[in-house]
Amino acid sequence: MITPVAKPVTVPASNLRRRLRQLRRQPAMIIGLVVIVAWFALALLAPVLAPYPPLEQNIQNRLQPPNDTYRLGTDELGRDVLSRVLYGGRITIPAGLAVVVINSIVGWLVGAVAGFAGRAWDEVMMRVTELFMAFPTIILAMAVTAALGPEIRNAVLALVIVRWTNYARLTRGLVIEAKTAEYVTATRSLGARNPYLLFKTLLPNTIAPVVVYGSLDIGNAILLFAGLSFLGLGPEPSSPEWGRMISIGIHFFDQWWMWLFPGLAIASLVMAFNFIGDGLRDMLDPRTRT
Amino acid sequence: MPLYQYLLRRVIFAIPLVLGITVVAFLIANAIPADPINANLPQSALNNEQLVAAFREKWGLDQPLHVQYLTYLGNLLQGDMGVSIRTNQPVLDDIRQFLPATIELATTAIVVGLLLGVSFGVVSAVWRNSPLDYLVRVFALIGVSFPVFLLALIGLSVLHAQLGWVAGPGRLDFLVQRPPHVTGLYTLDSLLAGQWGTFRNAAYHLVLPSLVLGLYVSGIIARITRSSLLEVLNSDFVRTARAKGQREFFVIMRHGLSNALIPVVTLLGVLYGNLLAGAVLTEAILAWPGIGRYAYRASTSQDFPAIMGVSMLIALIYVIANFIVDLMYFFIDPRIRYA
Repeated sequence: MITPVAKPVTVPASNLRRRLRQLRRQPAMIIGLVVIVAWFALALLAPVLAPYPPLEQNIQNRLQPPNDTYRLGTDELGRDVLSRVLYGGRITIPAGLAVVVINSIVGWLVGAVAGFAGRAWDEVMMRVTELFMAFPTIILAMAVTAALGPEIRNAVLALVIVRWTNYARLTRGLVIEAKTAEYVTATRSLGARNPYLLFKTLLPNTIAPVVVYGSLDIGNAILLFAGLSFLGLGPEPSSPEWGRMISIGIHFFDQWWMWLFPGLAIASLVMAFNFIGDGLRDMLDPRTRT
Repeated sequence: MPLYQYLLRRVIFAIPLVLGITVVAFLIANAIPADPINANLPQSALNNEQLVAAFREKWGLDQPLHVQYLTYLGNLLQGDMGVSIRTNQPVLDDIRQFLPATIELATTAIVVGLLLGVSFGVVSAVWRNSPLDYLVRVFALIGVSFPVFLLALIGLSVLHAQLGWVAGPGRLDFLVQRPPHVTGLYTLDSLLAGQWGTFRNAAYHLVLPSLVLGLYVSGIIARITRSSLLEVLNSDFVRTARAKGQREFFVIMRHGLSNALIPVVTLLGVLYGNLLAGAVLTEAILAWPGIGRYAYRASTSQDFPAIMGVSMLIALIYVIANFIVDLMYFFIDPRIRYA
């Protein structure tokens, strides 16, 4: 008589736990997360943490190298570099986030309509997207801000105009893939109209990759924003913005603390976002896993 | 597919793209809320009614939008991109004056970027997960994360001011005479004129900016080379080559790298565009008198015609660069020839 052998049953670890275990194998990603959380906290708590107001001038103590009173030195007007770097996060981080969020919305809309409508619509909208991609990002952004006037809001707008294209292409691909899925056909057969299909059915099913892409793009957005502001096309000159501080620091080249610390602030933040991006790519795409 | 047919196809593809670029440039110039007369004429000319009327007529500003575009395109085809507000010269003349410096810089930079990036990528892939690999990956990460203006400043402060290994800002030392103008590339022109001293000086000045820009692109190149070579080295034909007993060096170079470089070549067109954009920031810091610095000065003095001219020019260069990349494809990837 044959007795059935009970097969060992493996209980699949929950998705979250598996992800967490993967995360443990990605030390770079953890470092990235820690740095980003730290920068968010520093920016939020800047009014509490900064030893001096970021705009307070103290001409007697101008151009001091880092010392016990001014940990990161002072600038050409005697303002505390440490305080200004801390406050700088309050401009650059929200600006980078705003660029990415608006790009996700605009890009999703364009890409989804192109992919959903198909045919001529798709053709025209995608050719237009390609045209925008041919323009050099920062120079086109410079043109837009030059025309609108240097201001934080205009710099963000300029970066939206030049960078929504990747989001649109990504979304288009996702929507084309999703619109033939059975759940979409089912919804349509229930009598759903196009706007309903687009926003109630396709939006929730295609937004996740766009959000992931956006989170990877924050680093780039921050670099570009800092670049524009370095060129004098962002916030007004006295504002404690990192790119702006560096461009003023150039004129005081030997006072390296004036440009190095804001520079390292940008670099560390962007690097942290790139760490996360690399980690996510490794996790999601096993081919690149080493 | 024979070469001429392939070429013809690429050219035909490029024409609507170029036309489209002019449409986008025109639309952006029109979509901005600023009055085109305010944006395109200097302050001093705004009170002069004759000048304003002449401008309005030349660009057809009282005509409907599509007629305006055709006027704009017509002017463009005659090489008229408007007059720069800041320099008071035709934008095309300005570009002609500043472009050679940027071409000299960008070309050297892409060579530096390729040399560094490809060799780092190969080292990193061959000795995967070794300390060397981690070093290269950190280096690549710095290349893509550090703002290019920070790299330029660090280079200027360490390599020039501290160590004195490279020349400082500018294309030539203050007292050195420019070589006679042939191509506008000082290194080439001085060689053509047989002026060795000038050549040495020009090359010496080229080191820092091209190193900064080269580093900036080498990070991306190293990453692509690494991942693409890793994939190729895992493929069957590499295993076959190894099984035949070929030396490892030959396997990596001939079988591995020549296949792994295809994605790098694809990227070159895009990278050249990146490089020109990065050149704006580098040129601004290192006082390199190219179109990047021209665009920078234009943008800070609200010189709209100049900056629109530069962005259109770079978009065109981008199309041409990608066209050249397509051509290179034809020679390195036999699959295209037999497709």
